[in-house]
Amino acid sequence: MSAARQTSSASAAVRSFEAQWQARAADALRPVREQAMQRFLKLGLPSQRDETWRYTDLRALASQSFVDAQHEALGDVQPDAVQSLLDGAPRAATLLMVNGFPSLQPQQAAIDGMEIQSIREMSVRDPAVLLRFLAPASDADQRRWVLLNTALFRDGLYLKITRPLTAPLLILHVATGDGANAVAHPRVIIDACPGSSATIIEHHVAQGAHAPLINSNTHIALARDARLEHYRVFATTAAATHIDSVDIQQDQSSHCKQFTVVLGGGLVRATLEANLRQPGASLDSYSLLVGHENRHVDCVNIVTHGAPRTRSRQTARAIASDHSRVIFNSKVIVNAGAINADSQQSCRGLLLSPTAEIDTRPQLEIHADEVKCAHGATTGRLDPDMLFYMLSRGLDRATAQSLLVYAFLADVLTGMSVTAARSAIENALISQLPDAQLLRKFR
Amino acid sequence: MATERTILLEINDLTVRVAGKEILKGVNLKVNAGEVHAIMGPNGSGKSTLAQVLAGREDYEVTSGSVSFEGRDLLALPAEERARAGLFLGFQYPVEIPGVNNVYLLKAALNAKRKAAGEPEVDAYDFLALIKQKMKFMQMSEAFLTRGVNEGFSGGEKKRNEVLQMLVLEPKLAILDETDSGLDIDALKVVSKGVNSLRDPKRAVVLVTHYQRLLDYVIPDQVHVLTGGRIVKSGDKSLAQELERRGYDWVLESRVA
Repeated sequence: MSAARQTSSASAAVRSFEAQWQARAADALRPVREQAMQRFLKLGLPSQRDETWRYTDLRALASQSFVDAQHEALGDVQPDAVQSLLDGAPRAATLLMVNGFPSLQPQQAAIDGMEIQSIREMSVRDPAVLLRFLAPASDADQRRWVLLNTALFRDGLYLKITRPLTAPLLILHVATGDGANAVAHPRVIIDACPGSSATIIEHHVAQGAHAPLINSNTHIALARDARLEHYRVFATTAAATHIDSVDIQQDQSSHCKQFTVVLGGGLVRATLEANLRQPGASLDSYSLLVGHENRHVDCVNIVTHGAPRTRSRQTARAIASDHSRVIFNSKVIVNAGAINADSQQSCRGLLLSPTAEIDTRPQLEIHADEVKCAHGATTGRLDPDMLFYMLSRGLDRATAQSLLVYAFLADVLTGMSVTAARSAIENALISQLPDAQLLRKFR
Repeated sequence: MATERTILLEINDLTVRVAGKEILKGVNLKVNAGEVHAIMGPNGSGKSTLAQVLAGREDYEVTSGSVSFEGRDLLALPAEERARAGLFLGFQYPVEIPGVNNVYLLKAALNAKRKAAGEPEVDAYDFLALIKQKMKFMQMSEAFLTRGVNEGFSGGEKKRNEVLQMLVLEPKLAILDETDSGLDIDALKVVSKGVNSLRDPKRAVVLVTHYQRLLDYVIPDQVHVLTGGRIVKSGDKSLAQELERRGYDWVLESRVA
């Protein structure tokens, strides 16, 4: 009943989400979805009064009504949207997700070392496995859209990695803006068995005349000694609004290397929540956030050290040009008992125009003794001493500036082990920077 | 005895303000092709300001005076054009530029200069051969090839790198700002060898230095004492030895007297 009262004063967006919920047929996941939806309705959309949403105004979005994005046939997706970050490089498979619906070919279920299934099919056959990954974790404001995703996703991908895999797996997410105000809730679950290893690249693109809203979630569970290199690359259109979160649960001695790369999208909100819940778990998070035109990029990392000898490294590089705004907030929480936790947060921002803005806020919350936690954040223009040094060697100003921008990105790019993906990401990044032609020469 | 020498650099009554404060208060200096000049002086006398202004540092404000380089108005040129015209500054504190490869920078610098002179870009293999030869001469490790500009270099390695860049770019006028400071005796010899190898009737070198010891290895034609923003005394190499013996106070006192 409290939910009903909420609805009467709720925004158009929330009312439309509730209408979607009412129209959903019950499935085996209903109880957990019900719980998530009721929580979402009770809490509503986050506002700038909520801690992790201070810099992002959703009021324009809240005033719109959204309808479910269509379940497109594979043939309706234009081939040019099916661009691959891997180009012709070897891969385990390319999985296509259109508006949150996977298009699985029969042979794709049988990759050596990995089980690939549609979440919808699994919810019929084996819901208990799924439920392990779907239970709402908390009411924290950064999880508001995850609740909505849990309630409303219509399908998704469940990937179980059983052995060490060498070739990367690509998931191409396509949002089709075929109708006005379409919303998709793509869901991916990555379940890495003990001792397994894999590289998974999620690439988000958009096509079509209308601006889509995408509310995606990827849940990653790494069992003991599992290793994963995960990429999420946002390359949607300037009109798209993309709210994404990746949740990472790490068991003993597991290692996750995560890259978040924002290349496009009118408004991109990318959340990472990692829970290093067993001893020896280790996370390397890299964020490359590029704002141009008048785009808005809001990245939030929350890393919890929940056990002894856990280790995390967060490296973020933000570049803002034109009228764009880039935000990077990171928080490390060290729980009581997580002795010898070791964390570093490093964020550097580069402003390329006087009308651009970068906000960074590294935070630490420590409840344990004997920990090693460091953080640093700097934002500025190109270093005048470096610039002068290069000019004094005869380089022209545009070349010198481009070299410095490129160098700024190098820290993150060099960490990428998939060469083909790295070079495609580099290429796409460069096209959004001033003096793109020049920058290409340095590659 | 000598053929008539061409004036390479001529500074007339140069005054410069840095952050609102007058640092150079009327500097006069004339450097001919083929000469090595040493500018000495105590800390804070304006030596580095002079070097940086000549290289084209923008935040240093020239309030009066003129500088001509081969007859051109040097102050009218931006830093990059001064470099392409043949002026080189060896920095006192060479900046580290992580992510920008040493060799890349040097190749871009050489090509910028060649382009300005209407010459074709240097061939990649020829360039690598050239740089390896110069590195050997400067006794530098090949690890340098893969590293970022001055990244993680020791003070001595940075100074060697400055001289290496100078040797590759072959400037008409090299201004070396305390290139000798922080060097042990072996490194000092290597750096001196590099500077001496550039001596040539068409080129000139201005050594900005604190101490006389570099001048045991690179013998200057003229020595100037810069203090309080002015050149207060000039002489031959014996002036450097006298300064070493008697200190800078002696110059000030003898001037008053």
